Amino acid sequence: MKSAMIVLKEQVKFFYLVKRLSVYELRSLTRGNYLGAAWEIINPAIQILIYWFVFGFGIRQREAIGDIPYFQWMFAGILVWFFINNSIMKSSKSIYSKIRMLSKMNFPMSVIPNYTIFAQFYPHLVLLAVGMVFLQFLGYPVSIYYLQLPIYIIGLLLFLFSFSLITSTLSTIIRDVQMLLQSVMRMLLYLSPILWPPTLLPDSWQPYMKLNPFYYVIEGYRYSLLGEGWYFLENPIYTLYFIGIVAITFLVGAYLHVKFRSQFIDFL
Amino acid sequence: MGNSVEVKNVSKRYKLYKKQSERILDLLVPYKEYGEDFFALQNVSFDVERGSIVGLVGINGSGKSTLANIIAGVIPATSGQVTSDGNVALIAVNAGLDGKLSGRENIELKLLMLGFSKKEIAAMENEIIEFAELEKFIDQPVKTYSSGMKSRLGFSISVRVNPDILIVDEALSVGDKAFSEKSLDKMMEFKEKGKTMFFVSHSISQMKKFCDQILWLEFGVVKEYGATKEVITKYESFLEEYKALSKTDKKKYRNRALNRQSKKNEEPAEIL
Repeated sequence: MKSAMIVLKEQVKFFYLVKRLSVYELRSLTRGNYLGAAWEIINPAIQILIYWFVFGFGIRQREAIGDIPYFQWMFAGILVWFFINNSIMKSSKSIYSKIRMLSKMNFPMSVIPNYTIFAQFYPHLVLLAVGMVFLQFLGYPVSIYYLQLPIYIIGLLLFLFSFSLITSTLSTIIRDVQMLLQSVMRMLLYLSPILWPPTLLPDSWQPYMKLNPFYYVIEGYRYSLLGEGWYFLENPIYTLYFIGIVAITFLVGAYLHVKFRSQFIDFL
Repeated sequence: MGNSVEVKNVSKRYKLYKKQSERILDLLVPYKEYGEDFFALQNVSFDVERGSIVGLVGINGSGKSTLANIIAGVIPATSGQVTSDGNVALIAVNAGLDGKLSGRENIELKLLMLGFSKKEIAAMENEIIEFAELEKFIDQPVKTYSSGMKSRLGFSISVRVNPDILIVDEALSVGDKAFSEKSLDKMMEFKEKGKTMFFVSHSISQMKKFCDQILWLEFGVVKEYGATKEVITKYESFLEEYKALSKTDKKKYRNRALNRQSKKNEEPAEIL
C-alpha cells in the first residue's frame, strides 16, 4: 500500500518528464531508418495483410463472424494488439537498458517504464486514427459508440503500466523473464479474440478465456470501433473483474518495484 | 569551514556466484546465503572540507571508482552513510549517453533528467556545445563520436550544470592536451568558487598539481588520507616497491588482499 502511494505520487509529480522523455525515446527508436516513423504504420499494415490472407482468406474462406465481415472484425481488434505487444516488450526491458543513462539514484525510477509505454502510445494513436478512416470506407462509420473508447484506452494504459512495474523489475533481476515474456505474448496473440473468435470454443471454456485482461480491452475496442454496443455496460461483472486485475497488478508491481529499485544498478 | 562530504563506515559488498543457479537461489531462499562475498569497499570513513580537492589513488581494483560512484549516489552502499551538502555530479568516460540520438538531443535529454526546465535547457545548450568543441558534429548521432568527443560532451554537460560537488573519474585522460588543460582551468575556476571536488586519476603529476588531499585506497580500505605531499610520496614509493616485486610476490600480495576482501569488518591490516 505504501509503495503504491510512492509510485503514484511519482507519476503525478513527474508526469512532465514522462511526456518529454517519451518524445526522445520515440526519436531514438525511429532514428536510423530511412522511412523513420513511417514504419509504425507500414509494419502493422503488412502484418494485418498476412493475417487476413492466412486466417480470413486461407483458413476461414472469408466466412463472416456473426454479422461482421472477417477483415473488419480482425482489423478492429488487432489495432490495439500492436500497442499492447510493443509496449509490453519495450517496457519490460526499459529499466535495465536505461538505468545507465540516468546515472543518478534519486531519479524517480518508476517513471522509466511509464515513458517507454508512452513512446509506444503516440504511434498507437496515429494508427488508431488511420484505422478509423479506413473503417469509414469499410462500412463502419463513426458512431456514438466511439465515446466509450477512452475508457478502454485509459484502462489499458493503467494495466500496461502496472504490469510493466512487475516485468521491468523481474527482468532486471533475471534476464530470462524477457525471453519468457516473448513466448507468452506470442501465445496470447492466439488466446485473445484477435485472429479468431474464442466464442467458437465450447461454452464451458468461455470464462477461462476471459481471465485474460486483454480480452476485455480488445473486445471493448471492437465494440467501440464497429458500433456493436456499450461493452462495459453490457458486461458489468467483467468490467469489475478488469478493474480488480488492474488494482492487484498495480499493488504487486509497486511493491516489487519499490523493494528492489535501490539495488537495480547492482544487477547489471 | 564545515565538512562538505562525510563518508562514514561505507562498505560495498558484491556477491560472486559460481553458477547462475546460485544467483537465483540467493534471491529466492530466505535466511540462507549463497555465493561468495566480495567487499569492494570496507569501512571507508573520511571527511572532506568544503572547497578542497581530494585525489583518489590506488592500484587497479582498489575501489576508487566504486567509491566515486557511491559518493555520487549512482550506486547504493551496502552499509554506512554518505552525506553531502549539495548536488553531486559524476563525470566518467562512459557517462550515460544514448548512442542513437545526436549530441544536441543528448544534451537536452541529460538536462531534462536532471530536472531543468525547457527554458533553462535552451539557455545552457549553446554554451555546452561551445565548450565541448563539437561544432558541426553536434547533430550527428553520438555512436559515431570518438571516445574523446564523448567524454568532452559528458564533461561539458556536467560542468555547465554547476554542481556543488564534482567527481571526475578519469574522464580527462582521454581528451587531448588542449582540452584537458581547458578542463583543468575550468576546475580551477570551480576551486576558486569554493566547490568540493574529487579526482580519480592514475596521473600522479596531475594529482600533485591539483589536489589538496589524497585518499589512498588499497583493496577496498583506506590506507592513507592526508595532505597531498605526504601521501603522494608514500604512494610513489609504494608503487616503486610494488613494481619491483617478483611475479609470485605480487600474486601473494593480491591473494592476501582478496582473502581479506571476502570477509567483513576486518581491521585494515598491513599487507605488505
